[in-house]
Amino acid sequence: MEKQVIQSVGFRNISSEGKVVGFQLKIRLPYYRGVYLSQIKMGSLVVDGEEITKDHIIWRVNGTDYTWQEMMVSRNVHWSPLELATLIVDKPGGLKQGYHDLKYSYACTHSYMPPSLEHIIDPYKEEMVYLTEFGHTHNSRRLLIV
Amino acid sequence: MKENNISRRTFLRGMTTAAVASVLPAPIMAAAAHGQEESVLASAPKKGPQRGVSFYSYSAEFGFEKNLEDCFEDVYDMGAHGIEILANMHIENYPYPTDEWVNYWWSLCRKYDMTPVEYGHWIDGRVLQDRDLNVDETLEYLYRDMHLAHRLGFKIMRTKMTVKDSDLAPIDNWKEVITKALPLAERLDLVMCPEIHTPSNLDTPFVQEYVEFIKQTGTKNFGLNIDFSIFRESKYIHANPGEKPRSHTPEEIIPLLPYVKCCHAKLFHMSDDFHETEIPYERILQILKDNNWNGYLLSEYEGSDKYDQGYEVGQTLRKQHIMMKNILGE
Repeated sequence: MEKQVIQSVGFRNISSEGKVVGFQLKIRLPYYRGVYLSQIKMGSLVVDGEEITKDHIIWRVNGTDYTWQEMMVSRNVHWSPLELATLIVDKPGGLKQGYHDLKYSYACTHSYMPPSLEHIIDPYKEEMVYLTEFGHTHNSRRLLIV
Repeated sequence: MKENNISRRTFLRGMTTAAVASVLPAPIMAAAAHGQEESVLASAPKKGPQRGVSFYSYSAEFGFEKNLEDCFEDVYDMGAHGIEILANMHIENYPYPTDEWVNYWWSLCRKYDMTPVEYGHWIDGRVLQDRDLNVDETLEYLYRDMHLAHRLGFKIMRTKMTVKDSDLAPIDNWKEVITKALPLAERLDLVMCPEIHTPSNLDTPFVQEYVEFIKQTGTKNFGLNIDFSIFRESKYIHANPGEKPRSHTPEEIIPLLPYVKCCHAKLFHMSDDFHETEIPYERILQILKDNNWNGYLLSEYEGSDKYDQGYEVGQTLRKQHIMMKNILGE
């Protein structure tokens, strides 16, 4: 596991029945405790400036696939900071060979903190403060597709 | 280096068994041989303030430089024998660890002569984003954590409740939830303890509510964890506009001591000659001793510099433990 949220290992195109149907990347949870999937506030994935909305992303956690709607009701599926999640992105043709600028944002609810904090930690807004303890909401990395 | 490490651990394992054998009576060692680990650890009550560490302190390193066993060994190095874990972080496959993992947990407790002191867990009332959990749903999580804490040998739970405002006041249904959980806590011999941490302090109204609740119910299964951040010199304490920063004198903890089941030994700045420059540790620990308080002081390093490249939290904790050893006369 690398300290960056977006991992270099696991970033590749994926095929089905001989056709490239999309790509995947792996992320970690940079937080001092695990969370239930329903706590995750999904932002969007931006690849080379192009936004891919959460409707086109499946999260694979502990070997099971979840749409974002399924995640919202999975209040007993726990994601550990020691386990990587795989994001499976629906994109016919996948990504071209070469470098890609990846940005992914997500956040979690923190029931033990003042409710006002929930509005500050918004994956759709650029972070006002860098909250190490609560995970980095916005993550970027430049990685190669072979 | 690697070989040294292995031989040292093998050596330690022998040492630990020998050390335990020398202090525990024969029936307890026999119980240990039959795998009844809980009785081994629970049967050696210690008097006075005891040193321990919250594994929270290793947050930046856990999963990278340190695995679970490294955390145990780091605490063992300090001559401390109590630990707090964060359930959602340190238990593999939480909330449903395998029997194999639980056996591994007990093997680490034995190998490093460690008492599972405090089980850190959360009541995540906002686990769903469109509504708060109701009381019965909240209890599902709480019961599950209570059984798990018991299975891992803990007696104290740091029960972090859902917060409703900027003073960190607990959600309105807390009393109903805790009242319903008390019978199970009694059966499993557990004490649920909210943590009192800045910006809350001992004057915050809900702290008095907790104390009133304990007095009214007469329960032994609900108590307090006092985080020493409340004793931090007031010049470092943030206050709302128009309010005077308020930190407590160590003496102010005395009336609460009957309800304090363990403490978070907070550290902000340890000097190289082993003093905490912002918290009056000498006075606090003397008061705990003078008042015959029994329990664990669990080091909790919260500084965000622990996430900096190259920061070694274990060394910071060692400075604090040298200080505590000196004060406690160990």
